[in-house]
Amino acid sequence: MPRKPRRKQRPKSWPVTFSPFARALARMASVSKPNRRSKSIESSEKPTRSSTSNGSSKHTLEERPEGSESSDGEFDGVVQADFAFFDPKPNDFHGVKTLLQTYLDVEEWDLSGFADLILEQTTVGTVVKVEDDEDEGVFALATALNLWRYREQRCIMKLKEFLLLKASQEKGVGDQLRLLLGERAHNVGLLVSQRVVNLPPQLLPHLYDSLFNEVSWATEDEPTEDLRNSFQFKHYIILSKIYKHKNAEQQKRKRSDDREEEIVYVKPEDEIFHELSSWSFCFPLRTQQPAPHELKNYRSMGLIMTVEADKIPTFRQQLTSLINEG
Amino acid sequence: MATRLQFENNCDIGVFSKLTNGYCMVAIGGSESFYSVFESELGGVIPVVKTSIAGTRIVGRLCAGNKNGLLLPHTTTDQELQHLRNSLPDQVVVQRIEEKLSALGNCIACNDHVALTHTDLDRETEEIIADVLGVEVFRQTIAGNILVGSFCALSNRGGLVHPHTSIEDLDELSTLLQVPLVAGTVNRGSEVIAAGMIVNDWTSFCGSDTTATELSVIESVFKLRDSQPSVIVDEMRKSLIDSYV
Repeated sequence: MPRKPRRKQRPKSWPVTFSPFARALARMASVSKPNRRSKSIESSEKPTRSSTSNGSSKHTLEERPEGSESSDGEFDGVVQADFAFFDPKPNDFHGVKTLLQTYLDVEEWDLSGFADLILEQTTVGTVVKVEDDEDEGVFALATALNLWRYREQRCIMKLKEFLLLKASQEKGVGDQLRLLLGERAHNVGLLVSQRVVNLPPQLLPHLYDSLFNEVSWATEDEPTEDLRNSFQFKHYIILSKIYKHKNAEQQKRKRSDDREEEIVYVKPEDEIFHELSSWSFCFPLRTQQPAPHELKNYRSMGLIMTVEADKIPTFRQQLTSLINEG
Repeated sequence: MATRLQFENNCDIGVFSKLTNGYCMVAIGGSESFYSVFESELGGVIPVVKTSIAGTRIVGRLCAGNKNGLLLPHTTTDQELQHLRNSLPDQVVVQRIEEKLSALGNCIACNDHVALTHTDLDRETEEIIADVLGVEVFRQTIAGNILVGSFCALSNRGGLVHPHTSIEDLDELSTLLQVPLVAGTVNRGSEVIAAGMIVNDWTSFCGSDTTATELSVIESVFKLRDSQPSVIVDEMRKSLIDSYV
């Protein structure tokens, strides 16, 4: 086939859309409108608690409804959403896997296997989704995994290696961690809690309530004694992310109006856990995401801490008061 | 043969790589193990080029190409363009095009003879595609989706399309493309076929979540086992469609 002669290419001046207004205009003008749903929610809420049956609790959070997208081209960014808590199902695989993507920083490990593990444990574990959502997007996840029960799983072995490696750089903590992951693993639960960044904090007390309630129900309702004992957690290990001030070592607060905190917690409950923890340590993360302007003096770090199970009632109280006042 | 792998715990390898009969492009910044899988499968046969496009790692979704040419979005930097021109074989025409839809990999699905494009692509771009890639261009949708480049993986021997493609659409596309097509999924039920896998005439790479069933469908429709008569593809097509009806 003979080649057609090449035409001269006219450079097109395409308007660069940076402002939300221009983007909204461009969206209206385009033939195919993407079905975008913003997830930012207004703060007013009426939590309604439905009756909780054993193992499957459902809490809905009503949000104030807002005008639709198409009415005037301006997208306010507020949507009505009913969140509901569900037991983990195999269908949630992709959503759960996305939430756990950076759980072990950049380590290559059996992430799919870990997601499968969480989904198989239906007795303890909660997944937060929007009610009647066709996409079935997973917004948050909370579960507790017994480290002895799953010790043979590749993902758990790699996770333990990761934790011990990070602890080896910290004095004193390494031995305690090794004990918890080794001999004492029978009573140690890995507390996994991941969520989308803008999940309304009002859901958190309910989320943790349902998780710890499920744990105590499981100690009575599981079919075998082994399983019942496996939920008698004495310690919880938590792996989380925080932002630490870059100049944390220079604690010379000469200026009294220095408002900058040493640590900014991505998840509000981490602050309470950190206070109640038996020990904890931080380690640098290799994934450095571009920080928002307010956090430009901070570096993101991983945080590993362990909390005694008998501190959990205190935690639940403090979390409720923290969220209600905030 | 189809190989399973991941890019930094991510099974969407079709986002970070591009495979044709003449060359393979891989994103920089991934672990060496990602790159070495390609090297071991393809090394010596076709060049494996590490690159970025527009400073990003999503090279598979930003460019479109076949053995005749490679089309790059206007956001590609001059250094990247030069690097690709130097690293790819001389017979591959590397061209940067001014097209507002800059994710060319999502808008264009092509093999060495025919291309399917986004319905809103410029007329000029369509001509450049026909010119540089040496293909016949058809504006099409797949299962109602205009991002044809995302929802189908195409080689000269077969094609895998979005699982919800109707039988009529499958027949119509198959006639246009002149290859057997199968509607299926990759990476454990993901509909975004081109993000989950890359393929050429003799080999294919899929995300590690891809199940054994999905892998066998891929190997048979793209004739990678080298012993598949079309009868088996038709049998598979019938049984796959039954489950959606």
